[in-house]
Amino acid sequence: MGAYSHFPIFIIAIPMVMAVLMPAIGYKNEKYCPKAVVVALLSSTTLTGLLFFRVKPEGYLSYHMSSWEPPFGIEIRIDFLSLFILATICAISLLVAIFSQKYILKELEANKIPSFYCLFLLLTASMLGFVATGDIFNMFVFMEILALSSYALVAIAGNREAVRAAFKYLLMGAPSSIMVLLAITLLYSVTGTLNMADLSAKIADSGYREVLFASIVIFLIGFGVKAALFPLHMWLPDAHSIAPSPISAMLSGLVVEVGAYAILRILFSVFTTSSPTLSGTSEVLGIISAAGVLFGGILAITQKDFKMMIAYSTISHIGYILLGISVMNDKALTGSVFHIFDHGMAKACFFLCAGAFIYKKGYRRIEDLKGAARQMPWTSFAFSLAALSVIGIPPTAGFISKWYLIWGCIAGGYYLYAVIFLVGSVLAAVYCLRIIYYIFFLAPDEEKWSRKVDEAPLRILIPVWTLSLSTFVFGVISFLIIPSLQQAATFLIIR
Amino acid sequence: MSGTRLLENFHYIGAVILFCVGLYSVIIQKNIIKKIIGLNIMETSVFFFLVSLGYLSKGQPPIYVNGVEAGQMVNPIPQALILTGIVVAVSTTAVALALVILLYKQYGTLDVDKLMREEEE
Repeated sequence: MGAYSHFPIFIIAIPMVMAVLMPAIGYKNEKYCPKAVVVALLSSTTLTGLLFFRVKPEGYLSYHMSSWEPPFGIEIRIDFLSLFILATICAISLLVAIFSQKYILKELEANKIPSFYCLFLLLTASMLGFVATGDIFNMFVFMEILALSSYALVAIAGNREAVRAAFKYLLMGAPSSIMVLLAITLLYSVTGTLNMADLSAKIADSGYREVLFASIVIFLIGFGVKAALFPLHMWLPDAHSIAPSPISAMLSGLVVEVGAYAILRILFSVFTTSSPTLSGTSEVLGIISAAGVLFGGILAITQKDFKMMIAYSTISHIGYILLGISVMNDKALTGSVFHIFDHGMAKACFFLCAGAFIYKKGYRRIEDLKGAARQMPWTSFAFSLAALSVIGIPPTAGFISKWYLIWGCIAGGYYLYAVIFLVGSVLAAVYCLRIIYYIFFLAPDEEKWSRKVDEAPLRILIPVWTLSLSTFVFGVISFLIIPSLQQAATFLIIR
Repeated sequence: MSGTRLLENFHYIGAVILFCVGLYSVIIQKNIIKKIIGLNIMETSVFFFLVSLGYLSKGQPPIYVNGVEAGQMVNPIPQALILTGIVVAVSTTAVALALVILLYKQYGTLDVDKLMREEEE
């Protein structure tokens, strides 16, 4: 115990307090802002890393806010799965923060920089809180902070497209938040508690099956919008492609994944797998996420805009994660959680590469990227390495997660879903290889790309390369992580 | 049987009607200010539902004075929850209205159809 016991709250509190201080830090000179952000996120990352020594795959760490015992007080509950996702969030946002340092000067005026970093830290802190909390109403509050800061970040450039994309996002996001609140209210009305662990115990013997069923359907619609589940994804392509590139990386690599993680929590921690209410719902979830895999993949192939293509590919990959969740066995769940991790890294890397191209040349259309590798070989190679993970070529992390997802589908008897995963990988190969073909093998227009190597600055290249190398490295060393994840997933399922 | 239970819980019906009115205006209305009003009506309906859960006729404030027993007190949790909920709703509305101002400056219209038509051009 001792100082250890207060770690969970500091992981969330440090970025949140720093976010509020950001206008004061940037008051004299906005150059201090990115440094403060890096310090805050570095300390959160360190604390999260230290928690790995504490949390065992079968156990969890429970922290009671101001010593009020749950179910009355707010509980922060970190089990191995949420710790893994916390670490992913911390690490990716740290790298994105380093990337933004140079990049954001290109896209925003100087007076917007403190507010950009303030919103950036709020986004990160609310995601951390959202994942760590064990109280369902607290989850809603963090979700709203997350949603509000992401609307503002999409709109931050203030031009026509940005404002419209943000408003579109808000028009779908705000009703979905109300849906989540309604579902929480319905659960509260039949159980009288808001603590997740307590809820799962009380749901089993509360008799109101219809109310529970209504609540889970409304939860799925509400979090489905946040996670861009297939028919509710309309906001995603605009918001993700028009936001500044580091924010696209955050939204696409983390925010939608966190929505998928919320669905995981609701299905497995609140309603347990033994609950009869789940039986029909999970099948419907499976069918629509399978449709999402195909839809996102096909539309990604037809896009002309580079960032738009990455955004549609995100819809396809969210389909993978939710499909794995809907199968409901330990293998597929392991695959899903690992996919949240490696898709987050690969997608963040994609958007940061797109950002590097925009930083250097301002080109967004795929046509204009012809022959970019001659001028920017390092960025292009990083993109290709991350693309291998998105496609799922063996030693990369993307392969490991797809392997477990397909294994889980076959073990659960869902052969059709296994085929869908393979078709999704083929689609991913088509849209990724198309970009690689354009970048590497087509002759550039002489006025667009010079033949001399002229790369983006090091502060942009380091995060890009760290992300793309780690998709590779974590694939190779996945044998260190997967057993613990699988143990944690089994623990979640058989409960 | 179920009819009388429905009558006893008439406030649930009120909440459902409000929710539907709100959802209708978010989806159908062309004017984005009206959409935001619809959003607020939806929020209000959820708050109404939540606070009516804690209602108790002749209920006492949840404070142990003058020999009040726990059974006679109204449930304070829904009230605390909607207080938080209202703060969240106000901030959402504020952000939405700020975006509306920006939209109006950029496009000169509040009509959703016209905004979407701009997109196709």
